[in-house]
Amino acid sequence: MAHSHSKNKSVIKPVLYAFLSFALAFMLFLLSICLVARITLFSQDFMLTAMAECDYYSMIKDELRTQLKNLGHASGLNDDFVDTYVESLDIRQIETEYISAFYSGESTLVETNEFKQTFKAAIDQYVEDNNIDKSKANENNIIFLVDEAAGIYVNCISIPFFSVIANYFYKLSTPLNIAAVALFVFSLAVAAIIFFTNEFRHRRYRYLCYACTASFISITVIPLVVFISKYIEKINLGTRSLYNLFVTYFTSLFKDFWVFSGVFLFLSILTFVLYYRAYNKAVNG
Amino acid sequence: MRKHQSSHRSANGKNFIILPIIFSVLILGISCAVVLPSASTFITLSQMFFSDDNKDFSTDYTNIFVPVADEPEESSTVEEQPAPEPKTVPISSITYPKSGEQFGELIIEDCQIDDKLFFGDGNIELNNGVGLYTGSFIPGYGKTILIAGHNNTYFNGLKYAEIGQKVKIRTSYGNYTYEITDIQVKYYNDESAYDLTAETENLIMYTCYPFDELGLTPKRCFVYGKLVSGPQIDKNS
Repeated sequence: MAHSHSKNKSVIKPVLYAFLSFALAFMLFLLSICLVARITLFSQDFMLTAMAECDYYSMIKDELRTQLKNLGHASGLNDDFVDTYVESLDIRQIETEYISAFYSGESTLVETNEFKQTFKAAIDQYVEDNNIDKSKANENNIIFLVDEAAGIYVNCISIPFFSVIANYFYKLSTPLNIAAVALFVFSLAVAAIIFFTNEFRHRRYRYLCYACTASFISITVIPLVVFISKYIEKINLGTRSLYNLFVTYFTSLFKDFWVFSGVFLFLSILTFVLYYRAYNKAVNG
Repeated sequence: MRKHQSSHRSANGKNFIILPIIFSVLILGISCAVVLPSASTFITLSQMFFSDDNKDFSTDYTNIFVPVADEPEESSTVEEQPAPEPKTVPISSITYPKSGEQFGELIIEDCQIDDKLFFGDGNIELNNGVGLYTGSFIPGYGKTILIAGHNNTYFNGLKYAEIGQKVKIRTSYGNYTYEITDIQVKYYNDESAYDLTAETENLIMYTCYPFDELGLTPKRCFVYGKLVSGPQIDKNS
């Protein structure tokens, strides 16, 4: 009877610790996802770095220049006028303000008043410099042209769907932080239970090693699948600048998963070495 | 004792591989099971943004226009002979242009217009020549041909258009001549300016009006033409 009770206990204990180990692995996996999201998706700096890395600002400038030239061809403005005007715009500053507004929960509508004013002033100067007959520069037609140009400017500066998701995105930020802190605390608690309730040191390290290795595998699989499938590069976006930004942004995002993979791999090897040493010590001792 | 110890270590060694893999499968499986039902709509929607082809951002265009020689004009001295049957081109022999392709030339000598003719009237087309609206028809089809161009560039010469002037359209399957029959100025949203359901071949060229005006104008100059000569497309062959 006593032998049977002892046998049951010896079966339940490893199962219980294996379950705790699994729970720890799951929480570490979720914590990694939250942290990756925190330092990438929810980080303004990450977006601005991606923009700088893929030369987004100069591509936007080129696209704005090309589209305004197309408009110019339909409305009698020459290419030099557009070149000079677009060169005077500080696209980096404008984009940074737009991105800041998105991450701080403010309006993501691109402000066009300044653009309209400067563009209209540039056209007036163009009319004057080129001695264009006033009868050939109807005010209504020019205002229509300025409005169309402002529409092009908004399209170039803004990022699709940003205005739609901005509010949700901002509101998600706090719950994400709370979730990350909660997962961290729970992970520590489970790790502490595994560590302090096992009487043998090698067993403590063994279950921690299982958790770290499982987290390593789970976290590694995600970027591995994404990069092998080359799914990111198959995105179909309207402009080269958006395409390059998307590819750079998400490539960097999934590369950040490697960092967490590396951390878990290190912890996995460390706990395995500690287990091995503790086990040998226990056997030899 | 030593044998027991060795087998115990071996089992533990396998556990270091098998258990984490089982855990990972469970973690990813549970995550997918939780996330997929609620995210399936977004995942399905996101499929629309992906394609197997690489996106082409090039602003170059394809030229499928291969000029063909003009038909020799009938001698006007042989008046007794009956008028020849109009030539036809089987539709199967025509490479129907794709959007953005140059498939011909449009020439109005009296207006000093000699432009590339594109299929489509987007930016690439209108920056390089004049464009046929894809909702209209190619020359020879027996329906409306609607061609657009910028008034400051390729269709600037339309300001010299007059009734009776000849318009030549050269394509890879035949050369066409039209005669200008009417010139009208209408608003851009005036649908009476064109009839895309017409069953007779008619040419409509349009551009912004007034010419050489600065800014975007709501008026358009429509130049109408009727077919004089050119092979008809046989839609049944």
